[in-house]
Order: sequence, then C-alpha cells, then structure tokens
Amino acid sequence: MNLKNFNRALWVYHMNTGSCNGCDIEILAVLTPRYDVERFGIQLVGSPRHADVLLVTGPVARSMEDSVRRVYAQVPDPKVVMAVGNCGIEGDVFHEAYSLVGPIDQIIPVDVYVPGCPPRPEAIIYGVVMAWAKLERLAKQAKQEVA
Amino acid sequence: MSLINYGYAVWAPLIWVLALVVIGVMVLIWRSRGQKGYKKETAQTDIFLSGAKVPSEEERHVKADNIYWGFFESLKELYDAMMKPHTGIVNDYLLWFVAVAVIAILVFFLAG
Repeated sequence: MNLKNFNRALWVYHMNTGSCNGCDIEILAVLTPRYDVERFGIQLVGSPRHADVLLVTGPVARSMEDSVRRVYAQVPDPKVVMAVGNCGIEGDVFHEAYSLVGPIDQIIPVDVYVPGCPPRPEAIIYGVVMAWAKLERLAKQAKQEVA
Repeated sequence: MSLINYGYAVWAPLIWVLALVVIGVMVLIWRSRGQKGYKKETAQTDIFLSGAKVPSEEERHVKADNIYWGFFESLKELYDAMMKPHTGIVNDYLLWFVAVAVIAILVFFLAG
C-alpha cells in the first residue's frame, strides 16, 4: 500500500458501547508483542480529538447512544469508523434486546466492518489496513478539493 | 553579564531569559506541527469528557475552596453549629457580647 496523502502514524480511539469485553481483549491482543501493531505507528489514544479512526465495539446500549454520536462528532476530519465484532455489526445474540439502539451503523456511518465473536487479531489488523486505505482516499479527495 | 555566584549555585538573569526564549521557540515549532484539520465552532473543538455532555462553564468551574471539601465535610457538624449564631446582624452580636460579659463577670466574682 502506497500512502502518499495520509502519510503519518494512525491513531485509533477505541469506544466500548456495551460490549462483553471479548472484542476489547482481542483489540488489546493486537498491541501485544505477538502482533505489535505499534511498530507500524498504529496506536490507541485516549481522546477522539487525537484520533483518525474511531473503533467501536458493542451493540450500542440505549444509554450510550448520545455518547457515540458526541464522540464521533469530536473526531477531526478525515475520519473513519470501524465496527469490530458481530454485536456492533448486527446485534448478534443481543439483537432483540429492549435496551439496545444499535447496530452501530444505525447511529453513525461505519466504513469498515470486522465480523467475528470475537474477531481474531489478524482480522482486526486487516480491518485497520482497510481503514488506512480509506483514510488515504479521503485525504486525497480533501487535497483535490483544496487545489 | 551580571552573574551572581553563591558558591553552590549561579544566578544569571540573561541565561534565564535566553533559556525561556529557546523553550518558547521550541514550543511554537512543536505547536505549528500539530493537527490543523479541526473545524472551529463544531464539536471537534469541544472538551472531551468521555463522551458525556460538557456542562456550561459556570457549572464546571471548580472554586479554590473545593480543596478544603474533605475538611469542611468532616467538620460539618461543628460548622453548622458555629454558623447558626453568625447571623450577620449587629444586634445579635451585641447580645452575644453582653451575655458573655455577664457570664464572665459572674464567674469572676462568684468563683474569685
């Protein structure tokens, strides 16, 4: 992948909207020495204002709806949203639960879907690469609009 | 250059000024390399409070006496008792003065 427009480290903000923590553990596994994505400049950050990618897990509990919208709005452009795990993508075993307003793409636009319960770290890394490619396209568009 | 040598330390104002200028320039260079894509007057420049709604400036203002919160809380009973007589009315304070003076005089003469 040739990054010409979005040629900097990729910072990711991870948001849990009611996940069982299974996906979140796999996301942490991505950062462990076995996979170690930080060597490629991919790292989790503590604020959406510093992030390029919003990584969302969980089926979006009703009480989290406002927070999801607010956090999405706080990510600077260009931004990409990744939904990790079946719950965030289609509700999975919780799909009929009364307390949910998800899946995630009912609340905010999602660019990359990583299915699995939980998805393997390799799948999450592949999703991040897809997100990076999308950011490259968005950054290129933004440059063309300015020019 | 005015240089004061204390034996164990040296004080030179010009070196301090120079150091501050160098640090200031470094900070400005660092700042200029930051993210410029934020859209002003949108949520992108709002305070991040873990996704919670940010209260208005008046509501989130922390007063200096908040650092005594634990102190006030633990001595709440004493403060409540002490604050009751402090009505802010001069007549009340004069009555307290007269009452305490009478008690003091009685104690002085009866006990002494």
